Amino acid sequence: MSVALKPVGWNRNKLVYDAVLIIGAAVYILAFLNLAPMLSEGAAKVDAPIQRMRAFGSLAFLMLTLVLAIGPLARLDTRFLPLLYNRRHFGVITALVATTHAVAVLDWYYAFSPTPQLLALFTANTSFDRIAGFPFEILGVAALLVLAVLAATSHDFWLSFLTPPVWKALHMSVYGAYGAVVLHVALGPMAGGRDPVLSALVAASVATLATLHLVTGRRERAADAAASPPAAEDGWIDVGDVSEIAEARAIVGAAPGGERIAVFRTKDRLVAISNVCSHQNGPIGEGKVVRGFITCPWHGYQYRPEDGCSPPPFRERIHRYPLRLNGSRVEVATTPVPLGTRLESFRIPGATAPASPVPRTDPPGPRAAAPGPADDKVAS
Amino acid sequence: MSLKPADPGFFVGYFKKVPPAVRTFSLALAAALVAALGGAALALAVSPEHPGSGAYVNDLGDGSLTGILETSPYPLLRVPAADGRPARAVMLAGPSKIGVGQAAAGLDGATVDAGGVFVRRGDLDMLLVGGPVGLRASTAGMSLPAPAGPEPLGRWRITGEICDGKCAAGAMKPGTGLAHKACANLCITGGVPPVFVTTAPVEGAGFLLLADADGGPLPARHLHRTGERIAVEGVVERRDDLLILKVEVVLP
Ligand code: HEM
Ligand code: FES
Repeated sequence: MSVALKPVGWNRNKLVYDAVLIIGAAVYILAFLNLAPMLSEGAAKVDAPIQRMRAFGSLAFLMLTLVLAIGPLARLDTRFLPLLYNRRHFGVITALVATTHAVAVLDWYYAFSPTPQLLALFTANTSFDRIAGFPFEILGVAALLVLAVLAATSHDFWLSFLTPPVWKALHMSVYGAYGAVVLHVALGPMAGGRDPVLSALVAASVATLATLHLVTGRRERAADAAASPPAAEDGWIDVGDVSEIAEARAIVGAAPGGERIAVFRTKDRLVAISNVCSHQNGPIGEGKVVRGFITCPWHGYQYRPEDGCSPPPFRERIHRYPLRLNGSRVEVATTPVPLGTRLESFRIPGATAPASPVPRTDPPGPRAAAPGPADDKVAS
Repeated sequence: MSLKPADPGFFVGYFKKVPPAVRTFSLALAAALVAALGGAALALAVSPEHPGSGAYVNDLGDGSLTGILETSPYPLLRVPAADGRPARAVMLAGPSKIGVGQAAAGLDGATVDAGGVFVRRGDLDMLLVGGPVGLRASTAGMSLPAPAGPEPLGRWRITGEICDGKCAAGAMKPGTGLAHKACANLCITGGVPPVFVTTAPVEGAGFLLLADADGGPLPARHLHRTGERIAVEGVVERRDDLLILKVEVVLP
């Protein structure tokens, strides 16, 4: 199977995901543009292009809110993980909806004038030093540019081209875009209190996202702070009891510096591996050993237990740590072995059955190619 | 410390089989999402203020109005009283975001014919010059009585909003407010007569045509205050049925 030649990997789940998004967006637009005018005389009287700007602008804002909620929701409840897997498609559709909004604005408010539309966008209102009357459209332009760059660089090609830290930093700018949109709406269509539902929606969006991020942030910080107790020997930590580790699953410890280390149990063996996925820093320790590969729960990147490398053709590598048992206590060295070094996994002496029975969950089923995350890696 | 994963069925998007728990939850989530989006759309769509009743009105058909053109502060057609209808001063603008300053130049004080369509909301209306007649020196050969001179109404402080008269009259619905500010600025810069839509009637009128203190067009600096509720001070005069506010001070 050629990885390089297949630009986008689709699968049934992604198609369903995208279909739900598109149906949701279509229901929104139809309800806004076709149903509401039947129910409300005011909505019927609004110019169709202005109604269109409102429909697509508010949908883009709602979608942006949802995109930003997925991360913390998935941290709080793993049942939201399927939303995360294909989140970039959500982002790309959001950018398209926002573009439609901007085009509707340009074709109405900035049309019919001797000044060309794009020039007018930047010159019609120059009250930059005022709050009431600030050219709020510029904030929309800034947000749209960010969304467009993020959509364009959402493919994993850009992730490896730019390197994960740069890509991640770039994609953090989505929060800047969100802030710009909130101001965009607050300084323009919300001003004067003429649209109470819009004001309520924006307030609810900001409050929800702030709460979700604060709660998850606090949980993560608490987990970071709760460093695992040191073992008797310097440079080792006590991560937990071997009986706590379910078959194919992991427990997670934290080195004094906050570096988190996952200890997986697979059959009668234990493996200590970095908890941080090299894809997008996903929490590997919340993943599972699937067909012999340690599999990240976020997008399913896989790593070999013996050396922390992704199976060919992929080249991701993450750190592995020396591990030993002290009685039934699992102890892990806080200094990793060099990336890619083979390190035999630790055999649990006399181990037989898994620590606790685990309900049989999804075996990924027969797969045509290598058991690596091939489908996903080439996916957008 | 140990963070143990819950195990409702480990699932990654590329797995072929979706565990039942994941499937049920995802389908419920999808249904909730679609329903919530539909509801949000309806709530948002009906929420904004009613945009009012302004509309285009084709009173003239292919015909025209004849009157005396004044070009200051903006092109106005002074139509004499006729058929029991009192004299009126009709604000003129072009069909798009431009005024009729160019066509009016050289016709100040002349008798002209003007065709086109009206855009009208309540007592605020404006003739959008166009059609076969457009704006031209009158061909009817009528001699019209000189329009009455401006009637001074004194100094006023008035609260309201600076709008372009065309959108405020209903060329755009809604055509007022800060969301519409850039559009209003484009119109006013293009020469469309700006109006002050008042929060309470002034001498029976809901709006006044805006002018500079010296009677010329509204200076560009006032574009910084369009679209918001403000108070202005100035001298008000009446020409026929039209009030004109010569802005001296825009209160901060
Ligand atoms: C070139 C970029 C943009 C321009 C020129 C622009 C311009 C505008 C304008 C003129 C309005 C007022 C419409 C009205 O009369 O109610 C508006 C409203 C709005 N815009 Fe934008 N916008 C841009 C980008 C964005 C983006 C990227 C988003 C969100 C992701 C967004 C979200 C909104 C929302 C939520 C509203 C309020 C809609 C409502 O009244 O219900 N805009 N925008
Ligand atoms: S973060 Fe994407 S697969 Fe791990």
